[in-house]
Amino acid sequence: MKELYNYRQMIFSLVKKDLRGRYKGSVLGFLWTFINPLLQLIVYTLVFTTILPVADIDKYYLHLFVALIPWIFFSSSLTGGSGSVIAHKDLIKKIYFPRAVIPISYVTSCFVNMLLCFIVVFAVVILFGNGINFVAFLYLAPIMLVEYILALGVALISSAVTVYFRDLEHILGIITMAWTYLTPIMYPIEQITENPAVPEWFKSLYMLNPMTPVVQAYRDILYHARVPELSTLLSAFLLGITCLLAGCIIFSKLQRRFAEEL
Amino acid sequence: MGQEDAIVIKNVGKKFKVFLDKGQSFKERMLFKNRCKYEERNVLKDISFTVKKGEAVGLVGHNGCGKSTLLKLMTRILYPDKGSIEMKGRVSSLIELGAGFHPDMSGRENIYTNASIFGLTKKEIDARLEDIIKFSELEAFIDNPVRTYSSGMYMRLAFSVAINVDADILLIDEILAVGDTNFQAKCFNRLKEIKKQGTTIVIVSHSLGQIEQICDHSIWIDGGLIREYGSPYDVHPMYLEYMGSHLNFGGSTSEKKSDNRWGSMAAEVSSVQMLDKDGNEQTSFVVGAPVKIRVTYELKENVPDAVFGIGIFRADGVHCYGTNTRIDKMPDFEITKSGYFEVDIEKLNLLPSEYILDVSIETGDGIPVDFYKNAKRFITYSPVSDIGVLRLDHKWETNC
Repeated sequence: MKELYNYRQMIFSLVKKDLRGRYKGSVLGFLWTFINPLLQLIVYTLVFTTILPVADIDKYYLHLFVALIPWIFFSSSLTGGSGSVIAHKDLIKKIYFPRAVIPISYVTSCFVNMLLCFIVVFAVVILFGNGINFVAFLYLAPIMLVEYILALGVALISSAVTVYFRDLEHILGIITMAWTYLTPIMYPIEQITENPAVPEWFKSLYMLNPMTPVVQAYRDILYHARVPELSTLLSAFLLGITCLLAGCIIFSKLQRRFAEEL
Repeated sequence: MGQEDAIVIKNVGKKFKVFLDKGQSFKERMLFKNRCKYEERNVLKDISFTVKKGEAVGLVGHNGCGKSTLLKLMTRILYPDKGSIEMKGRVSSLIELGAGFHPDMSGRENIYTNASIFGLTKKEIDARLEDIIKFSELEAFIDNPVRTYSSGMYMRLAFSVAINVDADILLIDEILAVGDTNFQAKCFNRLKEIKKQGTTIVIVSHSLGQIEQICDHSIWIDGGLIREYGSPYDVHPMYLEYMGSHLNFGGSTSEKKSDNRWGSMAAEVSSVQMLDKDGNEQTSFVVGAPVKIRVTYELKENVPDAVFGIGIFRADGVHCYGTNTRIDKMPDFEITKSGYFEVDIEKLNLLPSEYILDVSIETGDGIPVDFYKNAKRFITYSPVSDIGVLRLDHKWETNC
């Protein structure tokens, strides 16, 4: 831990490099950070209001938007994070530094991206939202932190395992897709919890998804303009910490042979 | 670990699985199980040694003996399978220079990136920035993108960062061949300075001369074990002796000539000796000592117009000296029986380093009879630490 702190400058410069390099050479450059989620928003809104309408929701685009941006952060940490260690193999094979620096800086750069997108989210919420609850807004920072912890835990695992098992990178594509639908992003959570057609066992499994309480909390704060329930926050926090611990243990076990496997 | 110890290595062993053809994916591993066959290579078997604070140690050994692996274990790029390695203080390695350099960023920005990989904080880098730029001699180009640099400039910048990290322990792998000779000398002097400041240094090098100039001890690694440990002046002659015996006459017969030897073999060199003033064969000499090179040959066919020659190369490839009997305006020799030729060198003024001796017998038209490269390896050492290629006989005079 202390060592990681000593290498904070490295994390910082990797994040900077990543953010700068991401859209290098494209005409719109950094604007893609905003355009990409907005386009996704348009597609999903079109699909789920006109083609396959889900439950009747007021301002569906907003309902979706406040969940979509955090989800993009999480899913890109998971899929992009898995290749991050391999992408830096030249560095790993030749020089020592705490290996966790790499997934940490990748997740952090995704996180910074999300924060930038939140500028747009705030603008939309202020202009078209269901009012602003300042007390609820105070909960935004802790929930972001919890999501960061969660994303980091997942990225630590996926980045380390991918080194030994390269298929994971491809498998993760389908896993994220499934995960997208198993999280209440495009539909309200009541669709599952209050739907008699959904069997009980599925409901309890569904609630184990660590992203469910996170997304739920975002939606409470930004869409419903209300303080999230304590139970939601607590379960999000506990699942996040568990995930991070598991990530740390797995990563520290697997990283010993990185230089040989790469 | 004692108070005075900087590095303690105990019974360290490292095995590598060498896959002949490794399946990377699940499908490949399942379908082609036999492809996953591997050999286990025991690179390091049982290595133990201690380096005291402020000491410099050189690791020598032939290619593949495991010395670079040992260095990688010390930097923690690799982990040992058994045994333990303890290092005290900040470790910096000059193994890979320019790690993380980004071609589109300026030299200055790359200093920050690169130094951060060594674990420096922004504050620490700010404090060293001036020194780094000054040492690299790139003041005029420091704000240009690194892709516009020549490879020499690139390496200079990388080396400047690495050497200014101010580590407690510095690990160096064969990299003192950076830039032009001026810069090399500068790096080398800087290394000596660093050592004087109390940094512990471990060097892997094939240049025995460099190790002799800096290191207090030399460790000869052979087959994953420590073969000799001691002062460089004791270890290196033994090492060279061993290398010589494996290089020169390692099972070569008259039919099959190795790559370092060619010619008609009408007269074949059978032994090359370097003798000191008492006529004893040696592989290490004090700078300025008299040396006699004796080359014995066996005759197969008469050679009517033989020219004898010698050449001396420094281990890094610098051609130090070469001559032959024709250059020295001697008539060509007619060889009708086996014999020898000798070259008397009054003063071997080559400065401390490792050298390679070539000998040759040619015909008057320059057709090789026995051109024998790498015939002998030797080192020179000296208590005086003058620098350059060779010592010019000199006297000082002042009027102060």
